[in-house]
Amino acid sequence: MILFRTVTKIYHSSRKPIVALQDVSFQVQKGEFVSIAGTSGAGKTTLIRLLIGEEKPTRGEVFFERKSIHRNQKDLQKLRRKIGVVHQDYKLLSLKTVAENVAYVMQVIGASDRDIQRDVPQILDIVGLTERAANFPEELSGGEKQRLAIARALCHRPEVIVADEPTGNLDLYNTFEIVNLFKKIHRLGTTIILATHNKEVIIGLDRRVITLEEGKLIRDDPQGKFIL
Amino acid sequence: MFTSLKRIFKFGWQGFLRHKGLSSQVIFIMTVAVLVVISLFLFQGLSEFLIAEAQKKVDISVYFKKDTSENNILEVKQGLYKFSTAIEDIRYVSRVQAQEIFLQKHQDDPLYLQALEEVGENPFLASLNIRTKDPVFYAQISDYLVEGPFKNLVEKVSYYQNRKVIVRLFSIINNVKTAGIILSLILGILVILITFNTVKLTIFTSKDEISTMRLVGATNWFIRGPFLVQSIIYGILAVGIASLIFFASLNFLNSRLQTWLLDFNFLTFFQENFLSLLLIQFVFALGLGITSFLLAVRKYLKV
Ligand SMILES: Nc1ncnc2c1ncn2[C@@H]1O[C@H](COP(=O)(O)OP(=O)(O)OP(=O)(O)O)[C@@H](O)[C@H]1O
Ligand SMILES: [Mg+2]
Repeated sequence: MILFRTVTKIYHSSRKPIVALQDVSFQVQKGEFVSIAGTSGAGKTTLIRLLIGEEKPTRGEVFFERKSIHRNQKDLQKLRRKIGVVHQDYKLLSLKTVAENVAYVMQVIGASDRDIQRDVPQILDIVGLTERAANFPEELSGGEKQRLAIARALCHRPEVIVADEPTGNLDLYNTFEIVNLFKKIHRLGTTIILATHNKEVIIGLDRRVITLEEGKLIRDDPQGKFIL
Repeated sequence: MFTSLKRIFKFGWQGFLRHKGLSSQVIFIMTVAVLVVISLFLFQGLSEFLIAEAQKKVDISVYFKKDTSENNILEVKQGLYKFSTAIEDIRYVSRVQAQEIFLQKHQDDPLYLQALEEVGENPFLASLNIRTKDPVFYAQISDYLVEGPFKNLVEKVSYYQNRKVIVRLFSIINNVKTAGIILSLILGILVILITFNTVKLTIFTSKDEISTMRLVGATNWFIRGPFLVQSIIYGILAVGIASLIFFASLNFLNSRLQTWLLDFNFLTFFQENFLSLLLIQFVFALGLGITSFLLAVRKYLKV
């Protein structure tokens, strides 16, 4: 379903070029639950940006459902609607309320008003934000923002959920809840890619782990090993 | 399709309400832009009016020798009509009429009446008053009268006496016209640039929102649409406010300005041209708003 083929990403920063990913190749099948592990700066976020076409690879190619992401600018938006992303920096819509943030994603895919009215309160209840439905993102705590970002990634039932450090701002209890939520969604058939440097989370999942180090893919274990 | 449209309108209205500070900035600057356009339109009307007034006041009079018969004069009149299609009208003033006009003008002035009496006979000459569609023809016509087939009948042509003044007057009018056009262009470009910049700043504050919308898969029109709706709201408000300001200030100033400007009535002009003026304002305001918003948003749709 997802294929990275010898992908290299070099950022041309103001000082010297930074190699964020180097010759990374891997494949994710439909229905898999893959964790991407790696220390800070290893290239996890970069990998996700390439997957959703936010950045272009310097070399190599990224495919989603056999289509090259960076060659089909026209299909890019359609493709993005199939992937729910929890961004590390949340990327919430600051002029919309909590409920509207969730609803927006459903409006983008063309869901009916009835579905939106039914699903949004449900998903807000799941992430525990019912009380905050009418607040604006800037009025939320860090953890609340993160849960909103998660709600927004789930609400339209995308084929793939990509989560970049989705538990970074959550306490132990909430982390556990969210991981369980991901497990449940995965059991319903959704492909999940989870980038994190949280050892407990990865070990608790006991699933495939891809480990990045300084931009290189150094390990691809079928089951729950976290070695740094 | 319909749902999307409905949502776009709703988002646009929401953005307008929630972005109050920025909205008022954009409305302010667009109102100023519309005011400039109305002023230019009025200025155009005023200068046309003043030019027409000036042209009316300038004419050629041909005075005929005392013993010229009326038939001869009417023959000249016919000849002139044939001579040029540029002639607007020719008025014949006989010697008797000329005297009557003089008497009427000075009826309360015993000194003039006395002088006239002393002369004894009617000292006035018969004349033709000629007005042309464009002052450039005056020279031609007066040459024709002085040197053409009727030169023996003609005593004098007033154009020769006033030529310098007339030429000066029309060169001034032409200069004012050119200056007006240049000034309008500069002002117009200025307000357009300022509006563009204000809108650019407004959109800059939404740049993260726009890229986030792209990242969740919204189509460009779904993102642009609300801004388009907003720019239409801004345009309509700007036109409304500008018209109100204009109407109010004209009501207040009109009588004062009118006495200065040879009886040009701004209020009547405004009312008479209300529809075309409104159309111009809307086309300008909406065109300006929509293009500046589309251009400003486009930059952030590249994600
Ligand atoms: N826009 C950018 N311009 C220049 N360099 C960048 C940019 N984004 C990331 N980098 C660099 O690329 C490398 C990989 O960054 P990336 O964000 O992918 O790391 P990460 O694994 O997500 O780290 P973390 O766990 O801290 O989120 C880092 O060294 C970073 O400094
Ligand atoms: Mg990261």
